[in-house]
Amino acid sequence: MDNTMYVTLSRQMVLHRELDIVANNIANADTAGFKLEDMMTRADQAAPAKTVGLNAPVTFVMDDGVARDFKQGALNATGAPLDLAIDGKGFFTVNTAGGPRYTRDGRFKLDETGKIVTQDGNAVQGGGGDIVLDPAKGPISIAENGVISQAGQKVGQVDVVSFDDLSALSKDGNNLFRNTTNVQPQPTTAAKIRQGSLEGSNVQTLTQITRLIEINRAYESMTNIMSQTSDLSRRSIQRLGSVN
Amino acid sequence: MQALRTAATGMAAQQLNVEVISNNIANMNTVAFKRQRAEFEDLLYQTLETPGAQSSDTGTVVPTGVQIGGGVKAGSVYRITEQGATTRTDNQYDLAIQGRGYFQVLLPSGETAYTRAGNLSPNDQGQLVTPDGYLVQPTITIPQGTTQVTISKTGQVQVSQQGQTAPTVVGQLQLATFLNEGGLDAQGDNLFLESAASGAATLATPGSPGVGTLLQGYTEASNVDAVSEITALIVAQRAYEMNSKVVTTADQMLATASQVKS
Repeated sequence: MDNTMYVTLSRQMVLHRELDIVANNIANADTAGFKLEDMMTRADQAAPAKTVGLNAPVTFVMDDGVARDFKQGALNATGAPLDLAIDGKGFFTVNTAGGPRYTRDGRFKLDETGKIVTQDGNAVQGGGGDIVLDPAKGPISIAENGVISQAGQKVGQVDVVSFDDLSALSKDGNNLFRNTTNVQPQPTTAAKIRQGSLEGSNVQTLTQITRLIEINRAYESMTNIMSQTSDLSRRSIQRLGSVN
Repeated sequence: MQALRTAATGMAAQQLNVEVISNNIANMNTVAFKRQRAEFEDLLYQTLETPGAQSSDTGTVVPTGVQIGGGVKAGSVYRITEQGATTRTDNQYDLAIQGRGYFQVLLPSGETAYTRAGNLSPNDQGQLVTPDGYLVQPTITIPQGTTQVTISKTGQVQVSQQGQTAPTVVGQLQLATFLNEGGLDAQGDNLFLESAASGAATLATPGSPGVGTLLQGYTEASNVDAVSEITALIVAQRAYEMNSKVVTTADQMLATASQVKS
């Protein structure tokens, strides 16, 4: 009898986390370079627990992992010269206090020393180091392969790197990804840099709202099972326990 | 319940977004106004299961882990300093800067502020001042009896006076440039102050390499694009609505949970 309670409870706990993930997706529906996430669940067999009489095992629901959808987000033209979008697979490399981080959020700017930085002031990497530009040399133009030129002269290079295994990446917040393995990313030429555009978040709000409804209803039905189960045990106690 | 707080960060971010957009729209007709953009970033992730962690003694690893995000925050409100269109005014004291650069303005406090709004006029002593009466630096005095003022592309101010055939040079305007214009500290009244983020001002004659030129009889319009602002407003409103749906859902789930014990 108690198994029912615990199985529904395991589902409810997972639903709570699913809701947290959907809430984060919706909150970031307008964050440049954000990648959609979804909860993966698995059936966890409780080894000793068996249904009485039948030999069917009891399985609980477990959260197994977060699936990240690295599908390309839509490109929005902004016209700002240091807004860069990656069209294809790849990441910009950013140097932070904690080591290299990777991002697809290309809202860059120049800092007070002329270095290309992210909005948090971390230096964008290119050609083996920071990229320093002098805006006085003329308008900045960045080619599809990342070559930065001013007045027809090459003045630098923005690197785009790619990972063979995207599951090596862990989210760090601030639109940054961290590499959790020792496998270093490789420079890629498959991706094109689009200057004056930004990659929007790839969250499709319609599907997220549908997920919200799903989660809500699933939670409700789990609650119903719970109250029915407790009803059942209450009534059985009343009937079986009545003395006459 | 994390989802409630996550949705609240989403709503707060969109509220800020609407505030920035409304300021852009309100300043659509402000001379030399530069539009701003609220930039969002995802918040820290709570790692429940580390990706790449070993899941058994035989060396199998967790493929993706479980990471739950805490929502969104505004990273910065970025000023997009691209050139606005020039508007013809035919006023001889109106100056538009084409290219990089800022006029220097002496504030009553003695500080130097910077502006691209070139709607200048002479004060009672003939000195060139901003609409608020602050002196443009270096000070240019237009002598009495001037019939016409000519300001060249390179900032030389010449006046023609009654009874004289040749124009006289009365001053030379200079422009200040910054490595990071977006980092200037906005003061209102179209004025900016130098900040640690902008870098120090470099003074130069208009038209020198990397510095803009002046255009007399024109002002620089704001670079706000009404259509894209309205589109951004629609997106912000819908995003706000959707975050409120998350709050409702989380609330309903909590209500359902509390009904179990009746």
